[in-house]
Amino acid sequence: MRLVRSLVVVAGLGLTALSLAAVPALAQKRGGTLVQITQPEPPTLGSYVSTANPVGQVASKIYDGLLEYDFDLKPLPSLAESWTVAEDGKTVTFKLRSGVKFHDGKPFTSADVQFTFMEVLKKVHPRGINTFAEVTAVETPDPQTAIFRLNRPAPYMMAALSGYESPILPKHVFSQGDIRTHQNANSPVGTGPFKFVEWRRGEFVRLDRNADYWKPGLPYLDRIVVRFIGDTGTRAAALEKGEAHIAGFGAVPYNDVKKLEKLPNIQIVTRGYEMLSPVVELMFNTKKAPFDNVKVRQAISYAIDRKFVIDNIWFGFGKPTNGPISSNFAPTGLYSADVTNYNVPDGVERANKLLDEAGFPRKADGIRFEITHDITPYGEEWRRFGEYTQQALARIGIKANLRYEDVATWLKRIYTDYDYDMSSNHLFNLADPVLGVHRAFHSRFIRPGTVFVNGVRWSTPHTDQLMDQATIEPDAKKRAALYAEVQKIVVDQAPLAWTHEISFATVLDKRYRDVIVSPLGLFSSFDRAWRE
Amino acid sequence: MTSSFWIRFLGNPRVLLGLIWLALVVIGALAAPLIAPLDPFAISGKPFVRPMDGFLFGTDSLGRSVWSGLVHGARTTLLIAIIATLAAVAFGGLLGALSGFYGGRTDNLLMRITEFFQTIPSFIFAILLVAVLSPSATSVVVAIATVSWPPIARIVRAEVMSLRSREFIQAAVTLGERDFVILFRQILPNALSPLIVTGSLLVATAILTESALSFLGLGAPNFMSWGFMIGAGRSFLRDAWWLVAIPGIAILLTVLSINLVGEGLNDALNPRLRTP
Repeated sequence: MRLVRSLVVVAGLGLTALSLAAVPALAQKRGGTLVQITQPEPPTLGSYVSTANPVGQVASKIYDGLLEYDFDLKPLPSLAESWTVAEDGKTVTFKLRSGVKFHDGKPFTSADVQFTFMEVLKKVHPRGINTFAEVTAVETPDPQTAIFRLNRPAPYMMAALSGYESPILPKHVFSQGDIRTHQNANSPVGTGPFKFVEWRRGEFVRLDRNADYWKPGLPYLDRIVVRFIGDTGTRAAALEKGEAHIAGFGAVPYNDVKKLEKLPNIQIVTRGYEMLSPVVELMFNTKKAPFDNVKVRQAISYAIDRKFVIDNIWFGFGKPTNGPISSNFAPTGLYSADVTNYNVPDGVERANKLLDEAGFPRKADGIRFEITHDITPYGEEWRRFGEYTQQALARIGIKANLRYEDVATWLKRIYTDYDYDMSSNHLFNLADPVLGVHRAFHSRFIRPGTVFVNGVRWSTPHTDQLMDQATIEPDAKKRAALYAEVQKIVVDQAPLAWTHEISFATVLDKRYRDVIVSPLGLFSSFDRAWRE
Repeated sequence: MTSSFWIRFLGNPRVLLGLIWLALVVIGALAAPLIAPLDPFAISGKPFVRPMDGFLFGTDSLGRSVWSGLVHGARTTLLIAIIATLAAVAFGGLLGALSGFYGGRTDNLLMRITEFFQTIPSFIFAILLVAVLSPSATSVVVAIATVSWPPIARIVRAEVMSLRSREFIQAAVTLGERDFVILFRQILPNALSPLIVTGSLLVATAILTESALSFLGLGAPNFMSWGFMIGAGRSFLRDAWWLVAIPGIAILLTVLSINLVGEGLNDALNPRLRTP
């Protein structure tokens, strides 16, 4: 098969999609205010410097990206009408939409794209530094064309061009002064469907309809108010009464979500997190006995009853798993189910057998060895998960003492000092395994002091090589095959025990339609959302 | 203590009620492994089983027995409260005694230190200490003792100061007794009654502090305690009332009992209330 990966999306295709969206179906109405609950209050609205969750929930309504995505994670046109990836994968040409204006009335051009990627995202965006590392230049032959020159192919880059991940900034506003501390961070100017109006600290951010939005007839809503309510119970009550209309991530605890679900005016949506895909993992300190023994790690993987954990700790909002890549990647072929299945009914027996073989027989008191398990200090369910893990380990003869510390101390212990036996965490897969999965077990990510990376300090030259190949492999099938092999090896070697995918739940007022229409969920622009 | 003390003390019906409940709690705590053989953290049944449905007090969100948690929690709560109180009484008592006995500069210095501790809001200070020391049984004891000793020091100081000028102490001084002997043989035994009353009430405060710390998730992570049970159950208040109500009632009754007994002690020991 010839390696022709020259993808041309005809400009007309994008326009067709657009005009379809723009023709209002009978029921769709203009007007209305959507009240969104975001928890906690964002520290800034500069989504180009902070990837903190609440920042993205607000800024994604203000900034557009070059692309949007459908639920299969396939790119759709946005500010870029069409794009072409050269055969060698080292040149990507974007044809930009004309007639797009920023909220201050100035036109959007290729210079803004160049500025955004070269001067901002590549330099100060926490993930952009990695994602766009291969981008050496953005050329602007004319105002409607931006050509990305890459050192090596970076197919994963195409998954990171949404308005949430890579917001396009106006050069004329942000090029003056230090971008890290820019005054316009908190009075943002973008091309998105909603304009920033006011941020009353501790209370709300008000965003009003952008009448000049480039998608004709959109957005439908007049206003979005993002409210900040500190108390969990009050948040649930506001949704129950219809004073607030949408809340996602952990803003409402799972047991309250269950209660709200029964109300006639509320629906629970679990879609819209496909580009995040958090996977829960038990971490083993693989440089330390007894976790340097693969059989011990496998035994513990077998000992966790995934169904119990999901049903009783995450109240059903989860999906059992064995490997690092979320099943949300199934449509792209990157997810593989062909791995060791640790989620078996006789898991405890298998675990006991493995520990016997590993040379840790039960002593007179029934205990094989004693360890310390560090509870993830993220709140209730993580505490219960720690307590459950202690009990699961007790069943296979491992005595685990629990330790509970504040987030900063815990992060330092796990990712800087490596002074731990076992802990748990969850990493977001993000838009591509290169962005969200490699960091957990690639040797390049054994970096003391950097959090949410390879804290288990496990790697092999072989898996490193497979991941490096997959990083630059432009052919989707070959890429999938490389990841299938990576998954098979790491699941068997179990440097981490992946237990389940968390399904976040969005609580949504039923009067609002077409709110969650992309894999980015609350991180999308809500341009098509409307009120009955 | 004379027999008239015991009559006045035990003749008080409120004291008797308090003592009966405290006796039950102490017996429960001592006999915990016998009357609730399950590890309180063990997942021993289905989650959210209602009370009296196979489990005396039902189960929590993970299927852990609430009864087991209650009696093992009594152990933790009592043990931590008593040890912390003893530490506070020993430290505060010593400081207060030295301060009251020597007076002058020593008194000035020690009382300024005491006031320094008294000005910090005690619960916030306890949270801070536990957070800094990282939660464990020892750090909870240290935190409670650290925030509890100042009142003891002040009471002991006042008692010692008033006794210091009595004739029998002056006699002892004249006889050439050493300071140490005077303080511990002559003065402290006479200052004991207010110390006992304050100390007993301090246990109640210590129980509340320990429960509040555990409620916030800052308790000793490997020990079941009443505050922890309430903290873990509070999100389910509307679906599973017993998770919060049962340990809550246990804390209420225990603290109330200690207060009743403490007040009874005060009444019985207070010479002004004695009938001639």
